[in-house]
Amino acid sequence: MGAHISIPMYQRAVPQRYRLIGQRCLKCGRVNFPPKAVCKYCLTGSEFENVQLSGRGTIYSYTIIAGGGAPPEFAEDARCKGSYPVVLVELEEGPRIIAQLVNPPGEGISIGMPVEAVFRRIYEEEGVIRYGFKFRLV
Amino acid sequence: MTISVISYGIYIPFLRIKREEYISALGSCSAAFKEKAVMDIDEDTITMAVEAARDAVAGVDKSRIGVLALASTNFPYREKVAAGTVIEALGLSNNILTCQHGNSTLAGTEAILSAIGLLSLTDQKYALVVVADAPASGASVDMEHGFGAAACAFILAKDEPGLEFEGVYAYAAESMGIRYGLPGETDLRDIGVKTYSNLAYNDTVRASVRGLLDKLGRKPGDYRHVILHQYDAKDASGLAKKLGFGEEQINAGLVFAKLGDTGACSTLVGLCNVLDNASPGDNMIICSYGSGAGSHALSFKLTGQPPKPRNSLKSLLERKKYIGYVQYLKLKRNI
Amino acid sequence: MEGVAIIGAGQTRYGDFPGKGVKELFAEAYLEALKSVDHGLDPQTIQAAYIGCLSAGSGFQLGQLAPLLMGHVGLPHVNAVRVENACASGGFALYTAACAVASGKFDLVVAAGVEKMRDVSSSKGRYWLGVSGDTEYERLAGSTFAGIYALMAARYMHEYGLKREHLSMVAVKNHRNAVANPKAQFRREITLEQAMNGVPVAHPFNVWDCSPTTDGAAVVLLCNAKIARQFTSKPVYLKGFGAASDYLAIHDRNTVTSLAATRRAAAEAYKQAGIGPSDIDFAEVHDCFTIAEILAYGDLGFCEVGRAHYLLENGDTQLDGRLPVNASGGLKAKGHPIGATGCGMACEIFKQLRDEAMEPSRQIKNARYALSHNVGGSGGTAAVFIYQRGDES
Repeated sequence: MGAHISIPMYQRAVPQRYRLIGQRCLKCGRVNFPPKAVCKYCLTGSEFENVQLSGRGTIYSYTIIAGGGAPPEFAEDARCKGSYPVVLVELEEGPRIIAQLVNPPGEGISIGMPVEAVFRRIYEEEGVIRYGFKFRLV
Repeated sequence: MTISVISYGIYIPFLRIKREEYISALGSCSAAFKEKAVMDIDEDTITMAVEAARDAVAGVDKSRIGVLALASTNFPYREKVAAGTVIEALGLSNNILTCQHGNSTLAGTEAILSAIGLLSLTDQKYALVVVADAPASGASVDMEHGFGAAACAFILAKDEPGLEFEGVYAYAAESMGIRYGLPGETDLRDIGVKTYSNLAYNDTVRASVRGLLDKLGRKPGDYRHVILHQYDAKDASGLAKKLGFGEEQINAGLVFAKLGDTGACSTLVGLCNVLDNASPGDNMIICSYGSGAGSHALSFKLTGQPPKPRNSLKSLLERKKYIGYVQYLKLKRNI
Repeated sequence: MEGVAIIGAGQTRYGDFPGKGVKELFAEAYLEALKSVDHGLDPQTIQAAYIGCLSAGSGFQLGQLAPLLMGHVGLPHVNAVRVENACASGGFALYTAACAVASGKFDLVVAAGVEKMRDVSSSKGRYWLGVSGDTEYERLAGSTFAGIYALMAARYMHEYGLKREHLSMVAVKNHRNAVANPKAQFRREITLEQAMNGVPVAHPFNVWDCSPTTDGAAVVLLCNAKIARQFTSKPVYLKGFGAASDYLAIHDRNTVTSLAATRRAAAEAYKQAGIGPSDIDFAEVHDCFTIAEILAYGDLGFCEVGRAHYLLENGDTQLDGRLPVNASGGLKAKGHPIGATGCGMACEIFKQLRDEAMEPSRQIKNARYALSHNVGGSGGTAAVFIYQRGDES
């Protein structure tokens, strides 16, 4: 049983998931990601311009999801890897975002490590591969 | 109008398996690689394609890309426009000309040739060619031992200095060659007649290489490098020697030992390896091969400084983590 | 605004009950609550019911669960509604019920919560546990709620020097408290060594840092404070109640070492009650993961944010400390039947403030004010309540 992100719903987020398109608030100038209808910083701006985020950032916090505790749609990943890291990344444009970390270092993950976005399969539902970003250490 | 490669990118998965892992698990290994790259559980030929393409388009005005040519023998979908994923991931124009080549390891050079042709149909300056491959077969098939994974991407430009395309010669004829795949089967099948397969490879590749040399009025000695399709460790260099090339022309293009059989990428990853250390004026002849059978020989010459990739093949080969055979089988979804 | 009083409360034991579904669990808690009203109460005078539940028995009754449950206990015609805010569903049911009474619209209402979590496959269970975050991003990062709280814990450790053993001290304390609680799911002590070396779940958490999945129900009967003494000479007054929300996704929040929803809900409740954190004699806080209790200390004003581990080191929040927290065993050991949890806390406090804590060893003596704190998901919502004993004057 998966997360029930329908194919149309997934497609609507393709600009965010595939290439990290953020939105700059035309009122306060700060960058929202993922998108909001009203800027999460100034809480008033509702007009934005798209900005291409660099995908670079640093690890703000991290965890390692143990195999047995993974959501059902990640069970195959978990079975294969035993466990996988999930990181909260502070992007260099400001916003933070949550995603998996690929190729975790043998010596362990620590807060502050620089990372960059990579393009990976996130999971599969209804036979459709859901691609999106993950991060790797720079 | 000239067409030149002005930029390229490579992607090699982080995970590697050494040949010794096969030997300790199975008692032997049918392929003479030292180690090969293995896609992680969340990778496929499209994710590899995007990673290689991102490097290739870095520094290029993406709005001037008018063509996207994709190639793989192992696309994640049997029917789907794979270009859609790549276009969105890279942020390319949704109105570019696309093509998708598969069904044999000839696909990589097919994509280059298609891109060159499609460039004449667009006012845009650039074509992006992305070749990503990871041949697959069941764990019980000996041929599987050699199967690796890699992707490379090239920006072809109209009338700019770079690795200039000089010409092509093609050959196709009925010959089962080395392997084939049936509809509905994910595993490739081995012809299993080694001498016949070698002969088929030699005849098919020779026909294009000789044809191109004749067409351009050149001799093997006129080239700095020769890069032939490598489905195993020996046949490419063996054939190159028979064709009259020397070791110093052959060696820089040999990548099988480090990566295994990368299918439609084979000659192109070899080309990238050559480009890593190339100098202005260097020239090379490459020849792809696809069972069934066909070959494309292409000639290139560096008319300017060699393009510098964001990540050289050498640096990518150094970034790795070794896995064991059980983990390998898990990644291949065999267990 | 009208005053609000609790005149009865009941709950099932929390645990694993293959023989009982949501209807049976709810009925058991409801009948116990009715029985607890000292001078009796005519059920037909109940005017409304607010029932917290997330999954409605893992999805079998997502629509109109509340009238289904009320019909099962002989009150088919009551104004009944299901309230959902994930793990804070019970708290928001209680908050909504309290507002309904405070507004003067109703004099007698039910606030309840129920959850049936133990009769589904582990895969389906994990599905339901992950539908209350920002599904599109948090869930698709492969994270779980344990993972989200783990991100908070790792950051808290990084910023404030919290150690792994502080997390485990919460689990050890709450397990010890649950031993004497007949309503608790896990009535056994664990050692610090055990708590630090459990099976990994989401670094830095192991299984002992996580609350269990639980079946259970809790029902609270609220009335206008003016008529409370018709029902009992020992009402418990809801002196303050606050509720607030926050960005669902952890990446949208300014800080991850403090829950803004809790801070805002607490500020509202303290203001209404006219008291502050130092007046609180004991508290039931939302410890779905050990770090959650640590965050709660700071957010509820029991200490400065970032200094919660000193409270644990000093034993301040143990049953015999200056501010006992989770005397019931908390979500960790009493159990966490998602929708029921917020009302279950009110049941515990109702009993404690009436000196009816069942086992003398766990009775908190001379307590005047108590606080309960219920969080939805990873802090997307929170509700805070301040209770005052009513047998004093």
